[in-house]
Amino acid sequence: MGELTTAVHDPDSADSADSADEVVFDLAVMSTRHVNAALRALPAGARAQVVNPAGRHNLAVGLSRAIRVRIAGPAGYYVGGLGAAADVDVDGPAGWGVGENLMSGTVRVRGAASQSAAASAHGGLVVVEGDASLRAGISLKGGRLAVAGDVGRYCAFLAQAGTILVGGDAGEALGDSLYEAVIYVAGRVRGLGTDARVEDLTDADVAAVRALAADAGFDHVDPQNVTRVASARSLYHFDTAQHAAY
Amino acid sequence: MCGIAGLHLKDHALRERLGSMVTGMLRGVAERGPDSAGVAIHDPGGLRVRKDVGDPLAFADRIDLAGQTGLRALAHTRMATESAVTAAHCHPFVAGTAPAADGSPAPPGGMPLDGTELCLVHNGSFANHATIRRRLAAAGVTTETDNDSEVAARYLAARLGAGDDLAAALRRLTATFDGFFTLAVTTADSFAVVRDPIGCKPAIIAETDQWVAMVSEYRALLGLPGLADATVFEPEPEEVYLWAS
Repeated sequence: MGELTTAVHDPDSADSADSADEVVFDLAVMSTRHVNAALRALPAGARAQVVNPAGRHNLAVGLSRAIRVRIAGPAGYYVGGLGAAADVDVDGPAGWGVGENLMSGTVRVRGAASQSAAASAHGGLVVVEGDASLRAGISLKGGRLAVAGDVGRYCAFLAQAGTILVGGDAGEALGDSLYEAVIYVAGRVRGLGTDARVEDLTDADVAAVRALAADAGFDHVDPQNVTRVASARSLYHFDTAQHAAY
Repeated sequence: MCGIAGLHLKDHALRERLGSMVTGMLRGVAERGPDSAGVAIHDPGGLRVRKDVGDPLAFADRIDLAGQTGLRALAHTRMATESAVTAAHCHPFVAGTAPAADGSPAPPGGMPLDGTELCLVHNGSFANHATIRRRLAAAGVTTETDNDSEVAARYLAARLGAGDDLAAALRRLTATFDGFFTLAVTTADSFAVVRDPIGCKPAIIAETDQWVAMVSEYRALLGLPGLADATVFEPEPEEVYLWAS
C-alpha cells in the first residue's frame, strides 16, 4: 500500500526502546478503510499509531491479531469494535459504541466515551478513563467494562453476562432488564431499573472488583466498598401464575 | 439520521467569525445528512435563513456561509426519513412568535422575517405530529408543509405567543410530543437544547466563556477556537438547556 507513511521514532514515548518498530498511519492522507486494512495486515506483536483521527468513525475495527494500536486523538463511533486479541488505545474521547461486540483484547479510552460503550461485548476489556454516557454496557455478553468516572442512565440495559465496574456514580435505571451480568458501583446509584437489585458483596465479588480495577489501572476504587447490582430474575423467568393469560 | 449544530456567542467580539465557525460545524455533520442543508443566523440586523437540497458542503460554499456574521446560529444536514426532499422540507423551520393584536397565537409562516421568530432544527422523528398538527389547526395555527419537525416549531412559537418562556415551552413539548428528538432552538436572544426521554439521538455540548456549541457528533466541534479548554458534556434526556444573551 503506497499510501502508508513510514514509522517515525518518538523520543518522548515512554517505551521508546521498541517504538522504532511502530508503524504510523495518517488519516489526514489515508481513508479509514485503508488504515483498517493495513492494521489488519500487521503481524502479531506489531505496534501502530493512527494520527489525525479527527473523530472519524469505525477506526481500528475488526482486528484479529495481538497488535497494539494507539489512536492519537478523538475517535468517532465503534472504535476498536469487533476486535479480538488486539489492544487499542484512544488518546482522546470516543463516540458511540466504543469496543462494540469486542471478542477479546482491550480497548482503552483516555477520555470520555459517548453512548453504548462496550455494547454486546462478548469478551475482552473496555476501559473508559473518563465518564461514559447513556446505555454503557448495553446487552453485554461476557466482556468486562470499567469506567473510572460516572455512567449515564440505562447502564447495563439487558446485559446478559460479564462484569461492569463504575468508579463514580451510576445514573437512573441502572441494570434495567438485567440478565446475568453483574455491576459494581463505587459511587452513588441514582436509581435501579426494572428487575435490578442491590445484593450483598461476597469475597468472590471483592476479588473480581480488585482484579478488574487492577487491569483497568484504577487506584481510586476500594473493592470492599462497592455496591453490587444484579438481576432479581423475576422478569425473565416465566411465571406459572401467568399461565392463564395464555 | 440528520446532523444538527447550534452556536451561541457569549463574546460578541466573535461576531465576524461566526460564519467560519458554523461552516466547520456543518462540515462535521455533513455525512449525517447528505440530501439537504440549512442555516439560520441571528444578527443584530435581523434573521437570515437559507436552506436548499443537495450536498451540504456545496450549499455552504454557495451561500458563502464562512463569510456570514452573527451572534447565534443553527445548522442542519438532512437525511430525510419522514417527508419529501424539497427546499421547503429542509430545516431550520422558522415560526413567528409575536401574538396577534387580538391575543390569538402567532400566524403561520409566509410573513417576512422580522428577527423575532423562533428557529428549530431536529434530529429524530415525531410519532404523533399529525395529532398535534390537527390540534394546532383547530387553534388557528397552520403549517406550510407535512413535515413533522415543522409542527414542533409551530407548537413552540404558539406557546411563546401564549406567554410561555422558551424553557417552559420546551418542557411542555417534551411532555406532548412522542418520538425521538434532539432539538436545538434559537430566538432573538436565546439558544436552547432538549432531548427525548431516552436520549435516542446524539447530542454533545461544548461551552467556553466565549461561546456555547451543540453538535450531533464530537468531530463537528474540532476547529472551534478554545475547544481544548471547553467544558464538554452530553445533555441529559428531557432536561432543557438554555442560554440567553
